[in-house]
Amino acid sequence: MKLRAAKSRTADLFAAAPERRPDAVPAPAPAPAHAHAPASPVRPALAAPVPPPREQLGALRPKQLWYAAVFPEMTPEASAALQELCRHAHAFTSFVSLEPPNALLLEIKGSVKLFGSLQQLHADIDECWRLLTRTASSAIAPSTLAALWLARAGDPSLIEDTELLPSRLAKVPIACTAWPAEQLQTLRAMGVTSLGELMRLPRAGIARRLNPAVVADLDIALARQPAPRRAFVQRERFRERCDFETEIENVAYLEKALEPLIERCARFLRRRQAGIQGLRLKLRHREGPATRVQLGLASITSERRRLNDVLCQKLSRLNLRAPVRGMELISGSLRSLSASSLDVFAGLTGAGSRDSAPQLVERLRARLGEEAVYGVCLIPEHRPEAAWRRVQELCLTAGVKAEQRVDQQLPRPVWLLSEPLPLPKPEILQGPERIESGWWDGKGVARDYYIARQPQGARLWVFQERRSKRWYVHGVFA
Amino acid sequence: MCCVVAKTWMPRDAPLLAEVLADARVWKLKDASAAPARPVWSTGKSSLDARLPGGGWPTASLIEVLLDDTGLGEVQLFLPALVACQRGSGGDTRWLVWIAPPHEPYAPALAQSGIELKRLLIVRPPTATEALWAAEQALSSGVCAAVLLWLKGTDDRWLRRLKLAAEAGGSLGVLFRPERHRFESSPANLRIVMSRGEPCARLDLLKVQGGRPGPVDLGDS
Repeated sequence: MKLRAAKSRTADLFAAAPERRPDAVPAPAPAPAHAHAPASPVRPALAAPVPPPREQLGALRPKQLWYAAVFPEMTPEASAALQELCRHAHAFTSFVSLEPPNALLLEIKGSVKLFGSLQQLHADIDECWRLLTRTASSAIAPSTLAALWLARAGDPSLIEDTELLPSRLAKVPIACTAWPAEQLQTLRAMGVTSLGELMRLPRAGIARRLNPAVVADLDIALARQPAPRRAFVQRERFRERCDFETEIENVAYLEKALEPLIERCARFLRRRQAGIQGLRLKLRHREGPATRVQLGLASITSERRRLNDVLCQKLSRLNLRAPVRGMELISGSLRSLSASSLDVFAGLTGAGSRDSAPQLVERLRARLGEEAVYGVCLIPEHRPEAAWRRVQELCLTAGVKAEQRVDQQLPRPVWLLSEPLPLPKPEILQGPERIESGWWDGKGVARDYYIARQPQGARLWVFQERRSKRWYVHGVFA
Repeated sequence: MCCVVAKTWMPRDAPLLAEVLADARVWKLKDASAAPARPVWSTGKSSLDARLPGGGWPTASLIEVLLDDTGLGEVQLFLPALVACQRGSGGDTRWLVWIAPPHEPYAPALAQSGIELKRLLIVRPPTATEALWAAEQALSSGVCAAVLLWLKGTDDRWLRRLKLAAEAGGSLGVLFRPERHRFESSPANLRIVMSRGEPCARLDLLKVQGGRPGPVDLGDS
């Protein structure tokens, strides 16, 4: 009942002009303003500066043109296969977007000229799927959703004009939109089976009864709303194996054999202007599982010398449990090389500089372990043991300026003992400094700190526990 | 060295003094003290500065500090130099590396003395050999302003490598060792013995290239 009433009110917001009713033949675009303006005797003064009417703006060529391909036999699990298809699609355009589970969207506006014509491009892409033995239905439209829906409907349309979208989409069944099932159910209950019927309904009513997302999707499909998409970026990595004719037992030989692999890896990275921060090496033996060497780099790099350095360092620590028959070098995921990771000027500051700080840190870490190399930082805390912390993420970029700290604190020792040690009452030189804090986390302290001195010896940082009156040493002034 | 000089006074078959001086093994005290080729970093103690050639810790060299307990103010002696060499001449702060310190370096104390903590690296190697390797790497890398290394013991060959690395990388290398190594030969440019004393620790210069060995009174600063 309600539906009928809504229909009769014809508050149709999707059809901007009466002649754009879905079943009607689209009206030809109005002639440009300057063409008919001089001929018009009524308002000659407005001839030159008049802006093109609104209707005409819509008739301008669209900025984007989307090709959608739907692969009906592809299952939702076959995401790898879809990515494989993406890789082929990159032959036609640089912007390919995945539409899981089984569709691809290609932005082809920029490629039309290269392939001669739109028809040619369309045929070429379709031919590509045929050669890959994939059945695909495709469509071209000025908006992403329109292309996708038309492709799902199996309508091999080729629409260049935004004006044509409402009429062409009208025949598309609503099932092609892939909206949630309950919404489709509601629409069917309302007697709506195609998009044309949906577009005739009042906009506010759809948003209220179904979902505002439905209205938004229709706007996107009709190219009235932009719909930014994420481009598919190939997740590449360097992976290459090499097998030896004879088994290698000596690590030094392995290093030699590794050199060409690293050289190729560096070239691979250079060509992509990318760097890596991790690397894996698999050493295969005649039997048993392969030995895996994992290494991390302190910063993103593509330098052959640095990769070689770290790998050799790791290899020299390795105990080969069996002779090696082959190996495989696998890079971590590629990262873009930023200007800060190309540490060009770091070498110019010191006289005999050969390394950069990241190189030194990763060489130390490769041999001694990640935890053995760390930095320290301050924490604003009164409790001495909580006023500092180890940091594993070092600030390795160049350009750290030393800043002068002016906060005058009471003296602190260079060494802090990991645990306070009890001692008899020492000879006090200076103090006390009362530190009473930390009641909130159960590790509260109430101490009086003094600087004390051992007979004939070291200066210590001691404290007296205020409750127990016992003495402890907590630091050493070295 | 002394015996070579003594030989020149032998009446017969004695080489000319010029020949002796041309021998690379003979090290000329006067020239070395007259021209301090390298910049130096002040120790913060005027009495010690006065005794060191050039008036401070030499850069690009290995300094050996022999002491049995900690807490004698041994790190304090180097803190002003560490701050100065970390800032360096260029705009960028250089790295400080502390290898195998006996306790946790306490960040608030270091920040108080002016060390930039973002450029401080602490390395805890599992063995002494690894510590020496790490020190050599850090010294020769050229990105470190100073490398401090605490060791229980080491041999002469490793010290020689450390010294060469320090010279190659232009860093200040400081090695802390127990006092029992006092009578072993060492290629370090500067050797210091620190021991307990009243009212403050005693400091003895064992070997000073371009200066005179002997005890130093630290009390006046």
